[in-house]
Amino acid sequence: MLKNIKHFAGQSWLLIVASFVFGLLLAVTNAAWRPRIIQNEINKFNNLARALLTEATDFEIAAEAVEVDIGKGKKIRTDIKKGISDANECVGWAFVCEGSGFADKIKLVLTVDAGFEKLSGFGVLASNETPGFGDKIKNNYFRSQFVGAPATQLLLSKTGDDKKIDSEIVAITGATVSSEAVVKILNNYIRQIKISMQAEGLVNNDE
Amino acid sequence: MDTLQILLMGFISVVIVNNLVFTKFLGICPYLGVSGRIDMAFGMGCAVTFVVTLSGTLTWLIDHLILMPRGLEVTRYVCFILVIAGAVQLVEMYIRKFFPALYDSFGIFLPLITTNCAILGLCLFVNLWGIDNLLEAVVLSVGAGIGFTLAICIMAGIRENLNLADVPDCLKGAPITLITAGLLTLAFMGFAGMIR
Amino acid sequence: MTSNDSANVSFGQTFAAGIWNENPVLRLLLGMCPTLAVTAAVKPALTMGLSVIFVLVCSNIVVSLMRNLLKPHLRILMFTLTISTFVTIADLFLKAFAPDMSETLGPYVPLIIVNCIIICRAEACASKNTLAVSIVDALGMGAGFTITLCVLAGIRELLATGKVFEIQVMPGAFVPWAAMGMPVGAFITLGLLLGAVNLITKKNS
Repeated sequence: MLKNIKHFAGQSWLLIVASFVFGLLLAVTNAAWRPRIIQNEINKFNNLARALLTEATDFEIAAEAVEVDIGKGKKIRTDIKKGISDANECVGWAFVCEGSGFADKIKLVLTVDAGFEKLSGFGVLASNETPGFGDKIKNNYFRSQFVGAPATQLLLSKTGDDKKIDSEIVAITGATVSSEAVVKILNNYIRQIKISMQAEGLVNNDE
Repeated sequence: MDTLQILLMGFISVVIVNNLVFTKFLGICPYLGVSGRIDMAFGMGCAVTFVVTLSGTLTWLIDHLILMPRGLEVTRYVCFILVIAGAVQLVEMYIRKFFPALYDSFGIFLPLITTNCAILGLCLFVNLWGIDNLLEAVVLSVGAGIGFTLAICIMAGIRENLNLADVPDCLKGAPITLITAGLLTLAFMGFAGMIR
Repeated sequence: MTSNDSANVSFGQTFAAGIWNENPVLRLLLGMCPTLAVTAAVKPALTMGLSVIFVLVCSNIVVSLMRNLLKPHLRILMFTLTISTFVTIADLFLKAFAPDMSETLGPYVPLIIVNCIIICRAEACASKNTLAVSIVDALGMGAGFTITLCVLAGIRELLATGKVFEIQVMPGAFVPWAAMGMPVGAFITLGLLLGAVNLITKKNS
């Protein structure tokens, strides 16, 4: 038995030593860089949200891990962040929305005003839509239709005036499905987050 | 019934819409190497399906039962590849001993596909897509294997006919296979958006 | 293979072999998966190339240092362990210092582990040669890989968006070929590039 162990150890000592050394190397690297990685993720969200809620200088978490049903039995947790200005006033709310697009998942940052009455616009965190077509959801001419739109259920239409700010959104030519996906995701989150926020007393109930 | 529908959609999506070879560029090396004849291609496809189902399940289990609860995510890649290599090794020995007929039909491909990008790729994609139940992980793994088999058999069928065609000298072999693969990708693109 | 005759072959020749004669993608047909996946634009291609150079050099160094201690039937396991450690480090580095690139490259960075180039070089060269030769070989292969990726990415990005490295090159009247940015363009461009290389080598020989 001892001979077996000796033989085994003789064959694989290098493997065991190497595993230890590499494990140590990984642990050290991870410890050194993990704070930076986490900060990068926070920065990404903050930068997008700040571009939409221009008066906000900082974001703090108002409600953590709020559950949202995105259909097909999937429930996602998202944090509702409060945008605060220099004077420590609430200038709006921001949260991450998720849902399925044409090709893959789409992740958006949606910002609304302080009273949850109007949208302040959305930004695309992650998407894999068709380049040249669905990719245009990142473009300003599509996104600007949402700035100032009412925070109610939005309607997608194929034609119309995209300069007029109301609850009607004109789809991108050649990217109907992607546009529809964005509107559907936003509608879903607007509806459910509003209810959660009213329940938590963060916004007033509808009269 | 809802779960079944989700699983079915996931399955179809991985086989056709998000086919690993045509949309995610995984498994190209064996794809180019073994797609010369349909029988070899089918054998390779079966081997890949077998390995990928096993690996997908094992890595999902390890990820969710050991790595994430203990905060050891930094060792994820190392663990995945070691698990895949180890599992394939054991399976190959087992099949060679107890099912020699099966070994003859696809056993020779098993060592080849351990370092196949498709296997590790699928395990990483299952991780990336945030699959949080075991059944869905298994279904996606099987789907991925079947998608690969589908892709490689179609390609083998085309290549068998290409042998009789007049391909320019400089394009013979890998180049014409890649161009064919490109056209197949174009065809499969028609499925995009089918499952949302 | 030049690595067998390490005493007589100069470092320059080893390095140059990695770039043309034994170019890993175009001649040895290794490492195709990342070549197709990340070459939609030049920036990700360059990032991927540099990551591969890093992992190649580090793993060749480690394997070459250990080459006399390796037991034959455990060596693939050792290679895999070494490579996956360095790939994890490279991935963490990208996530910390270049988060946009890390996101664009996505799961293709960990797929460097199963990139045939690295394990083939460890097996064929680093485990049999001295430290210096292994490093030069790694640099040569890595450089060849990076150059190929960048050329492919340059063609695809130019045709798909009219820009190279995000700098506008094509005139405004150019209508972009969106298909080049998609998997179709990847396969077809690589196939044609391989065909072109075959043509050039046949003409020279």
